[in-house]
Amino acid sequence: MSSTAQTSEKAGPRTRRRSTPTSRAPWLLLAPFLVVFLLTFILPILAAVGSSFVQVTRKGLFGEAGVSQEFAWFHNYALALQNSSFISSIGRMFLFGIVQVPIMIALATVLAFLLESASAKWPGAFRAAYFLPYGVPGVIATILWTFLYVPGLSPVIDVAKWMGIDVDFLGAGTVLWSIANIVTWSYTGYNMLIIIAQLKSIPGELYEAAHIDGASPWRVARSIQVPLIAPALMLTTVFSIIGTLQLFAEPQVLMSVSPAIDSQYTPNLSAYTTAFAYNDYNVAAAQAVLIALVAFVLSFAFLRLTNRKS
Amino acid sequence: MTRLTRRQLMTLGLGAATATTLAGCATPGMTSVNTAPTLPAAADGKPVTLTYWAWLKDLQAVADIWNAANPHVQVRTVWIPSSGQGGYQKLYTALAAGGGPDLAQIELRAIPEFMLVNGVVDLARYGASGDATTFDPTLWGQVSFSDGVYGIPQDSGPMATFYQTAAFEAVSAKPPTTWTEWAQVAVELRKNKVYIDCFSISDPSSFVAYATQAGAAWLKADTDGWVLNMTDEATLAVARFFDTAIDSDLVTTAFALYSPPWFAAAANGSLASVTDASWADALVEGVANGEGKWRVAPMPRWEHGGYGSSYRGGSTTAVLAHSAHPAEALAFATWLNGSHEGIDALIKQSGIGWSPIKDYIGADRTGASDFFQGQDYNTDVFLPASTEQNDKWQWWPITQQSLNILADEFRRKPSGQTLVDSVAKAEASILTAFRNKGLTIRKGEA
Repeated sequence: MSSTAQTSEKAGPRTRRRSTPTSRAPWLLLAPFLVVFLLTFILPILAAVGSSFVQVTRKGLFGEAGVSQEFAWFHNYALALQNSSFISSIGRMFLFGIVQVPIMIALATVLAFLLESASAKWPGAFRAAYFLPYGVPGVIATILWTFLYVPGLSPVIDVAKWMGIDVDFLGAGTVLWSIANIVTWSYTGYNMLIIIAQLKSIPGELYEAAHIDGASPWRVARSIQVPLIAPALMLTTVFSIIGTLQLFAEPQVLMSVSPAIDSQYTPNLSAYTTAFAYNDYNVAAAQAVLIALVAFVLSFAFLRLTNRKS
Repeated sequence: MTRLTRRQLMTLGLGAATATTLAGCATPGMTSVNTAPTLPAAADGKPVTLTYWAWLKDLQAVADIWNAANPHVQVRTVWIPSSGQGGYQKLYTALAAGGGPDLAQIELRAIPEFMLVNGVVDLARYGASGDATTFDPTLWGQVSFSDGVYGIPQDSGPMATFYQTAAFEAVSAKPPTTWTEWAQVAVELRKNKVYIDCFSISDPSSFVAYATQAGAAWLKADTDGWVLNMTDEATLAVARFFDTAIDSDLVTTAFALYSPPWFAAAANGSLASVTDASWADALVEGVANGEGKWRVAPMPRWEHGGYGSSYRGGSTTAVLAHSAHPAEALAFATWLNGSHEGIDALIKQSGIGWSPIKDYIGADRTGASDFFQGQDYNTDVFLPASTEQNDKWQWWPITQQSLNILADEFRRKPSGQTLVDSVAKAEASILTAFRNKGLTIRKGEA
């Protein structure tokens, strides 16, 4: 602290010169971004945190005899945590993430390796094909898949029936995995692309050296490629964990065909319903803060865990 | 030095931002427009433009009839998604932001919810009470709360049974007149692998309608707050009846009404009938190759008593809190829903449900229907049904949340929880939900 004070003292005359047009330029150029960032990102977050600590009391049948609000400490957080539907939605996302994220990341890695292997044919065309689902918005993707899930419309179910198998994609026990399937279909290509970018940055000399040493392709993948793409794997996993907790569009659209999906099926659906169907903005704000905290803790825990290993 | 100031500045800035945010984040809907003085009508000849958010199709064509006759009060309609599927969300956000349209389509059951956020204008203060005699008394009762009127009824849904004649003839059954008969017919139909109906465990509004028919009135407004009684004998009898029906596989819980699998089952004949509101005629007419296969019969009755029919759905035109011209908005809403001209146009252009006016079902609703085997079903079945309604039923400020709570319990039916238990558990949760909203409620005696 003292050293900084000293430096700034020494730098006194020079810092005065800093308020020239050139020193103000970066701030001026950043201003448009900062203003929008502040108004649409920082302020709403502060507003949400603020309103999560407020409680409303009503007098009369509809509050017609007076409505008052007061600071309520963690009352709304307690209500959010008492809501068993909200808690089970978070639990459901844990289950979803533990199964779906590893499958998707593994699939993305395998696809990336295949496309980057020396014997790959038309890697460009396949890369584009695998990436294509990411270009389909979540809502549209879900509508597309709905036609394969709904009995009476789905050719998959018809074919299974001929073979004597009764499949129900939309039942209470299966619909979560039907959603996982849509999410995997949408995002595998995107994650694959990040991994490919990292694979491409591995210097050619390493492959040459391995080749000279007589390493098998399997050995090259295990000892060179996987360790060197670890940062990309970590990045995609963290993105996927956050994405899982924010699942919204897919269950929202599937709701109309699957009775098993309730209005609080995922944490974000729960916050949305609480805010805009139940008009309970304060509890919804508390839920939103809790979701952000869980996402933060999970991502942080994952990073700590993988860092310790390496 | 400079560095320090900059940091200080930043802290100051952040602090100021936090302070203004916290000050500005008052929960929306804290003040009531109905305690403020009423707004006068615009001076003569001064043009007024009203906006009207609704999910009725081609509503502008109806509004244009009014616009042509009233050059100084022009109505502009804006389409919004239906009710809780996005429309209300949009309205609530607009209201929270201090804006929103002059008029909006709000379901009968959602009127108290909009009252809770101080979102609707008490129309009695603008003279709406005088229109009471024009409208169906049951519907008028559902928009009236403690001397106020909070919406003009637009349509409703008296209930009856739509059935496929071939499926019933195959087991030589007539349309059932009681629910006991209904269960007997269902047993016969099951022998042909046909379900008589579906029971939606994800949308309990049909269950609510059956309970209403049996004589239930879950919520009552008392002087000391709300009184809730969902475990009355009428409701429990209905719950027990459908527990047995589901357990004996007489109805299917695999899909909800009018979902894609429902249409598929109705089209291939594995679903024989549907007991629902009058507006379901358009949906039944949407069943592939259904023409000439369906008829309409009165709803089965509960043997212990209750009412001849029930209702599901129904909307109002409400005047929203931030409207600058509530008087003109009320005049338009009354013309739209209370005149023969308005009702006929609404039926023709927008296909609304049952007419809210007493003794007028609409010009297009009379006469034989080709789809329903030449039956004049509106006059023969739905007109009597509309007069046999439970007028004690009242909606409450957290209807949607309550129905969701009930649905969440009903979803446990396939894993073994009875509907009877679900109703009791839902009742306890709804009591808590009321209190969490800062409202006063107590459990009523059975």
